[in-house]
Amino acid sequence: MSGEDCESFDRGDADGQKPDKMFTLKKWNAVAMWSWDVECDTCAICRVQVMDACLRCQGESKKDSYGKQDCVVVWGECNHSFHFCCMSLWVKQNNRCPLCQQEWSIQRMGK
Amino acid sequence: MMSLKPRNVDFQETWANLKETVAGVVALRAVERAVWNTRFSDVYALCVAHPEPLADRLYDETKNFLEEHVGGLLQRVKGSSVLESSDYNDGLLTRYVTAWHEFSQGVAYLNSLYSYLNLQHVKRQKVSDAEIIYGSAATVSCPEHDTRQLEVGELGLLTWERVLVRPLSGALSSRLVAALSAARDSAPDPAAADALRSAVHSAVHVQAFRVRAPLSLYQQLVLEPFLAAATTYHSRRAARLLAEGDVSHFMKHVLDGLEREVSLAQRFLHSSSLESVRACYERACVAAHLPALHADVERLLREASAGGGAARRDDLRRMYALLRPLGGPALRPLVDAAHQQAVRDGLALLDAEHPRDEAHAHFVQAMLSLHSKYSALYGDVFGGAQAFVGALDKACSAVVNRRRAGEACARAPELVARYCDALLRRRAADADADDKLAAAIVVFKYVDDKDVFQKHYARALARRLIHQLSASMEQEEAMINRLKAACGYEFTNKLHRMFTDVAVSADLNAKFQQYLRDNNLSTNTGFFIQVLQAGAWPLGGAMAPLAPPAQLERPARLFEAFYRASFSGRRLAWLHHLCTGELRTRYTARVYHVSASTPQCALLLLFEEADELSAREARDALQLAGEAWARHVRPLLDAGLLTGDADGTLRLNLAFSCKRTRLRLTCAAAPPGQGGGSGSGSASGGSESTHCDDDRKMYLQAALVRIMKQRKVLRHTELIQEVVSQARGSFAPSVAMIKKCIEALIDKQYLERAPGTLDTYSYLA
Repeated sequence: MSGEDCESFDRGDADGQKPDKMFTLKKWNAVAMWSWDVECDTCAICRVQVMDACLRCQGESKKDSYGKQDCVVVWGECNHSFHFCCMSLWVKQNNRCPLCQQEWSIQRMGK
Repeated sequence: MMSLKPRNVDFQETWANLKETVAGVVALRAVERAVWNTRFSDVYALCVAHPEPLADRLYDETKNFLEEHVGGLLQRVKGSSVLESSDYNDGLLTRYVTAWHEFSQGVAYLNSLYSYLNLQHVKRQKVSDAEIIYGSAATVSCPEHDTRQLEVGELGLLTWERVLVRPLSGALSSRLVAALSAARDSAPDPAAADALRSAVHSAVHVQAFRVRAPLSLYQQLVLEPFLAAATTYHSRRAARLLAEGDVSHFMKHVLDGLEREVSLAQRFLHSSSLESVRACYERACVAAHLPALHADVERLLREASAGGGAARRDDLRRMYALLRPLGGPALRPLVDAAHQQAVRDGLALLDAEHPRDEAHAHFVQAMLSLHSKYSALYGDVFGGAQAFVGALDKACSAVVNRRRAGEACARAPELVARYCDALLRRRAADADADDKLAAAIVVFKYVDDKDVFQKHYARALARRLIHQLSASMEQEEAMINRLKAACGYEFTNKLHRMFTDVAVSADLNAKFQQYLRDNNLSTNTGFFIQVLQAGAWPLGGAMAPLAPPAQLERPARLFEAFYRASFSGRRLAWLHHLCTGELRTRYTARVYHVSASTPQCALLLLFEEADELSAREARDALQLAGEAWARHVRPLLDAGLLTGDADGTLRLNLAFSCKRTRLRLTCAAAPPGQGGGSGSGSASGGSESTHCDDDRKMYLQAALVRIMKQRKVLRHTELIQEVVSQARGSFAPSVAMIKKCIEALIDKQYLERAPGTLDTYSYLA
């Protein structure tokens, strides 16, 4: 991994012999990872990790590469979280949180 | 003008006239039209005569006449020939053919003269075709003893067969066979050929009116004796050919002989006989000498594949042409030998000398050359027959997945993945990388452990994407699509998501810069970020905690604020071991550009304050854990930027100098499950393969549950088959592993053994 690019470099401000700083930070290539801010990383309805698309969405095996974006996470007032797709089917039958049986109301939705 | 009214007819007188004309017609003598017309009405008159119709009498008399006439012909045909002889040139055949021509023609005319009798009298008694074929008419099979009447034309033919052919059958048969045998060696002159063909076909014609077994006379008289003689002849010839020369010589002449035999059959025999003639030939010449042919198969294949030239290829082509009609068992040794030859050659190619660090290129190129060489050879020689395509596939897959003694798993997945990685990297700059990648798919398809390949590929892809090493994103995407085409959506799902993250990140950076401008903020340094989604990237656990220096703290906080504002419900974690910072040195004579991981940058930045630090101090400041510490410090020491001891005192090397002005520091020996590592085989192999085994068990259990949920009850062998076929896309499961998974599912009460059976499972809802 010792790739050397052939672009010309600038000598810039390198002439001062007695620097006040030893290094300058030119650039930072940062890498970060995001995940849903959830207590339990598995959706209790479909038993799939909330980071992955829910079972139904996987089954439809969306071919477009952005398909994943549709399958977001939803948090209830009880702080329990599920796939939005799974929960919206669930509340049609029973408007309670499947984990704590409290009345279901949406606190926030992931995006 | 004739009257149609029935009247009294004197049979004797009318028959006497009629008989004279009949004799003329049968002998093809000229008959005047007026006479013909009169006789025609005579037949009518007899049939409808008053008070008694005389049709039966007319029929019997005609029959007697024909018998007498054919008897005369018999004497003519016999002549002075010795019946026991088989000299086909003694004139008997010629006389027979002449008589046949005359008689068959004459009888055809006679049939029209008697058309009233045929139509009104005979047809009515005729049994239907269905009756003849489906029983109730056992007698019909031997018309001689049938009292039912025939049409006059048929009667004539029957009489010919009974009176003339039967007595002569031995003589005719032996002469015909002798003539045909002679025709095999040298074509007879056209007249003789015509005569021979007519004689042969007369046997067909005579019984052509019969519904049942119309060819029986032909078979008896011509075909069977001919085949018997041919078998002896061919056997003798084949034995002689084999004694004379090698297999090549034998095959060449046998094939020529086959062609001659077929054309002989086409020229002289009935079209239905072609198959049996061919089969008879193949039995005598090929099937009888299979061991001799099979013995040389291996040598021929070896020589043909070693570039033995067109001659060996011709030999193989002939071999295939000879063996193919005999079907599976005869062809099997050839197919097996083709398989073994490709395996042998493939293993030799793989074991050929090659530079160690080019193992991946050597492997893929060896496999490609093996595949193209044998596809071409077998396509050419065996016409691309399915059996040989299959044999080559089996061979390639055996070679690709070969395990050397002591290797826990085949190296193919890793090597192919490395080959792709090398081509997809920026530095490769290979003009035909696209073609090479497409070709690599050919090899990839033979890899059994596709799941292992996927892991290697995903890791390499992650490395390329994060460190921006890809030659081109189009190429990356095209390759992912090729893999998808080969293995399906599920296989490349994560690769796709990784790819998408990169595209999304580019967008995100632009938005972040806009956000900074809008809010009059600055990161004080160049900043580029990639935000990856958890779960899709094979980056593995340990995110080393790190207290970043102030210079990095600011952009990180700014971005976190921006990210929180843009998305909700998301948690962001910094992957410091993957971040790189670019530092410029200002204390050295020349300016050096150093790119290093975040912890390394942080460590270097500590030296702003002091030229010397104790390792303990530095470690505490950075909050780097023990193992990660050594991993990050080592490259700095190796490069000479720092001096001292990783566990003692560290000093900034103020006199640093280096030929290159750009330094890229790597994190040596990444922990397992993370990027890096240039495929060091055995060290990480152990945990790797158990990890893989666990994944496979999960996959198999999921597949088992899916299948059983659908089928409810299934026998053991069928279940195994279904699982194997489902898993084939990503790996080749062992039956032992499937059994273990079934046991596990029974323990977990997904399945149970169906009560009262030994080998059936049922699904528990």
